[in-house]
Parts: sequence; structure tokens; C-alpha cells
Amino acid sequence: MTALATTVTETLRYRGKVGQWAWVLHRLTGLGVIVFLILHVVDTSWAAFYPSDYEQAIREYQSPLFTIGEFFLVASVVFHALNGLRIVTLDYKPEWWRYQERATLLVFALTLLVLVPTFAVMLDHTVAFYTSDRDIATLDEIVQTQSLFVMGFVVILVVALALSGLYGLVTRSSQGVKLSGGWEATLWTYMRVSGVLILPLVFGHLVLMHILQGVFDIAGVPELEVVGTNAINQSGTAVEFVGARWNALLAGVAVWRIYDGLLLALAAIHGFNGLRYIVNDYARSVWVNRALNWAIFFGVIALIVVGAAALIAGADETAYKLATDMLSSVQ
Amino acid sequence: MQVTLRIRRFNPEKDQKPYWADYTLDNVEPTDRVLELLHRVKWEQDGTLSFRRSCAHGVCGSDGMRINGMNRLACKVLVNTLGEGDALTIQIEPLLGLRVIKDLIVDMEPFFEHYRSVMPYFVNDDPPPEDGRERLQSPEDRERFDDTTKCILCACCTTSCPSFWANQDYLGPAAIVQAHRFIFDSRDHAAEERLKILAETDGVWRCRTIYNCTMACPREIEVTRAIGEVKLAIARGSVE
Repeated sequence: MTALATTVTETLRYRGKVGQWAWVLHRLTGLGVIVFLILHVVDTSWAAFYPSDYEQAIREYQSPLFTIGEFFLVASVVFHALNGLRIVTLDYKPEWWRYQERATLLVFALTLLVLVPTFAVMLDHTVAFYTSDRDIATLDEIVQTQSLFVMGFVVILVVALALSGLYGLVTRSSQGVKLSGGWEATLWTYMRVSGVLILPLVFGHLVLMHILQGVFDIAGVPELEVVGTNAINQSGTAVEFVGARWNALLAGVAVWRIYDGLLLALAAIHGFNGLRYIVNDYARSVWVNRALNWAIFFGVIALIVVGAAALIAGADETAYKLATDMLSSVQ
Repeated sequence: MQVTLRIRRFNPEKDQKPYWADYTLDNVEPTDRVLELLHRVKWEQDGTLSFRRSCAHGVCGSDGMRINGMNRLACKVLVNTLGEGDALTIQIEPLLGLRVIKDLIVDMEPFFEHYRSVMPYFVNDDPPPEDGRERLQSPEDRERFDDTTKCILCACCTTSCPSFWANQDYLGPAAIVQAHRFIFDSRDHAAEERLKILAETDGVWRCRTIYNCTMACPREIEVTRAIGEVKLAIARGSVE
């Protein structure tokens, strides 16, 4: 923790230039996005496995707390994407370093340029929703479900710490987790390649799910066309929205399953490896370092498995029915 | 003009923790260097103030310190670059990330240990040329690593790096700059070995292209660029 405290206080005290602030924002936005990605993949998988829980999750995403969070999420994704592009460019063209300050200012400007119209549209969706007489999840409901996530994170951390402690006692190892140089080089390249590949996917996702339609459209609006498909969400449940999207075929191919699968794999590994960088910078105690590295390693595998399983399983009429029942019971 | 030096002081034999001490100096010329002001404090006001300096002309690299929030050499910073007016306050503190021995003097040993770990010396076991003269190199080949020959090991770059603040196992910009000087030297034969050392977890990968090092270098070495070139050499498995 001292490493983190020193970094925070000294970053504020040191008169670094704009590159330093871009780095701080890159870390913070990355951290925000990966936390959301974990929640998002886990609860989207419920569309396949626990339809009524998914319906509840989307109800909660429509509440004020998550609405505010969505604005932060979109801002984070846009900045992280554009700044990432700057980093990748300078990594492969280190001789262009003289332009790094101007490039950073350009990233800030472009981020604002993208965010202003995006936020305008999102705000429009938001106002329309809150001025309608639609049902909104209460804070109690949110605390009840989301506390499970918090507990989940805590349990994973406690288990990881306990196992790491046990491992330390048995093996007397005084080493944190260090990958070989070859792996570090591969992951460094992966971060750059995946970052660029994610760009079109994530901006597409942003346009479809936050601008054209948003969280307010995917549940509670019966007989709305599902964005990016010809399907109609008959029941107006989030489960049918997701199910219809995944089942939509283009020339016989389930394009949205492939799209979501690619985004999942690329972003999960990118995000967890970013988390690993942060952990290895600041978790200097061997015990904690090992625990967090293990949590990250098994976490990324678990997340991809859960997400992929949901994509393969999909959601069907039975699931839509369960979701409809759940919605009518709370309304 | 009048200048107040706010200096971060610490004497481990006496003090529980570091503290700020203010020293006011009159008749300061705007073209005085910060090092001269430190001398005046030590010689006229408080002889216990400790700092390193040797050549006092930006060559030996002894007086790296954090001046007004940025790492620089006290002997290369003129007062008029830090502000104008009749009264000015200049804040001076030791480099961060290395243990403070006393006042502005830090323990450079971990820094030099990282420096030594990258084999910062010429390696070539071939017999010297028949004529007994030097191993020749084209001007273009010499140009390839010219920038990184300028390093004076003052540690301004390494101790401006947030990655190094968090984790002193990181070799740091200076050691990578020194490695770059030999890796890209066409006469040297140990590039592969050096790249292997720098490819480890605590080598180049801890660099997050923050550019504090480049901004801090008193010799204007393109530090982040040099680190970037080493990263690419490792990722591509070749120096060219």
C-alpha cells in the first residue's frame, strides 16, 4: 500500500506534464471499464442461465445510480480508446515522441468532441425515460442485488489471500508472481494489437447499445425492433432482446454471437492484463501480490468461460416467459 | 531580488521525520544558479545543510534534485527560469525513490546497481584490427546511438518515473538509456544478452510512456524514445 500511497501523493506533487496526466487517466478509466466489464459479462450470462435475475439486473441498470455510471463508463471507454491509440502509435514510432504532448491534447479534444453529441443523445434517452411513467428499481433492490457482487469480490479476495498465505507457509516462497520475459513481451504486443482490434468493436457496441438504443429500450418497451437485427422484441423483456440479438442470422451466420464473443475475449484479456500491470506496480507484499495475480489469472478464465457458455447457450421462449413473469410480478 | 529557499531537510541521527526549512537570501541575481543559492545557505547561514556537487557545471551529474517540483541539476537552473519579481520562493527536495542519507543526499547505490546490471561496457572479443588502430565505424552507425552517449548518470530521469517510485526493482530509464548506447553500437557484440536482461519483468515493460524522464533529462536525451527502441528490438527479436 505504501507504493500506491507514494505514487498518488507524488504524482500530485511532481510537476509532470500532460503525459503524466494522460497516464493517470488511462489507469483510472481502464480500472473503471474492467470493473464494469466483469459485472456486465456475469449478468448478461444470466439472460441464458437465470432469466429473471437478468431482467432484474437491467431494471437496476435503468435506475439513476447506474444511469450516472453509464455516462462515466462511456466517457472512460472513449478516452481509454483514443489515448490507447496514441500510446500504440508512439510505441511503434518512438521517434515521434516530440509530438506526444500535442497528441495528448488532441486525445483530450477528440474525447470531448465524441462525448458531447454522445452525451446529448444519451441525455435525451434518459430524460424521455424519467419523464415517462415507467417503473424504476428502488435503491433497496439495488443494494440487495449489487451487494451480492461486492460480497462475491470480497469472497474471491479472501480466498485468494488465504490460499496465497497457505502456499507461502508450505513452500516458504518469497517470490511474487513474475512472468518470464518472453511472456511479458508477448503480452505487451497483445495489449497493443488487441487494443486496436477492440476499437471498431467497442465503438460499434457503443453506437448500438448507448446511442441508437440504450438500456432504457432493451427492457420495458414491448414490440420494439432489436437494434442491428430484423427481430422484434415481442415481450419487451431484456432477455428476449438479448436472445433475439444472439439468434439473429445474417447469411446463416449468428453475427452478433461472433461479435460479442470476439469483444469478450479481446477485452477480457486486455482488461485483466491491465489489472495485472496495476497489481504488480502497487501490490509489493509477496503474499498480496501472489493472491491478486492468482485472482486475476483464474478470474479472466472464469469470465471468458461464463461469457462463452452464455453465448453458446443463448436464450429461448422459456427464458422469455420467465423474464415476463418476473417483470409483471414487480410492476 | 530576494529568494526564499524552502529545503526538505532530514538528519537521520537527529530527526524523526523530514521537515521543510526556509532560508531567505538577499541580493540574489536573476542569473544566479540554484547551486549558488545552496552554497550561500551552507556558507552563510547553516553549515549543516548537506548536498552533493562536484564539477558544478552540468557534467558530473552529482547535484540532481527536485527543484520546484521537477527533477533537475541545481548547477544548470538559473533563478530567472523559476520566476520573476522582487521576491521568489524556490522549493528544493531530494530525488524520490532512493533512500535519503541526509538532506538532499540520496543513496545512489540501488541506481548504480541497476546501471551495472545492463552490462554498460563494450563487449567485443574479436582481435583488434591488424593496423593496431581503433575499430572503425561509419558516421551513420555512430549516429545511431549518439543521443544515449550523453547520459551523465545523474538519476534525474529514473527518479521522475512513477513506475520507479512505486517499484524500485524497475531498472529505470537511466539504465535502459545506458543499455541502448551499447545495444545499438555496431561494434558491440553483446546486444542479445542485454536485450534478454531488459526483457525481464523489471526491465523495459514497466515503462508506461509517461515522458516524465524525457522532460527531466538535463542533457536533453530522448529517453522515452530510447526505451521505445529497446522495446521494439525485444518485441521484433532484432536490433534493426
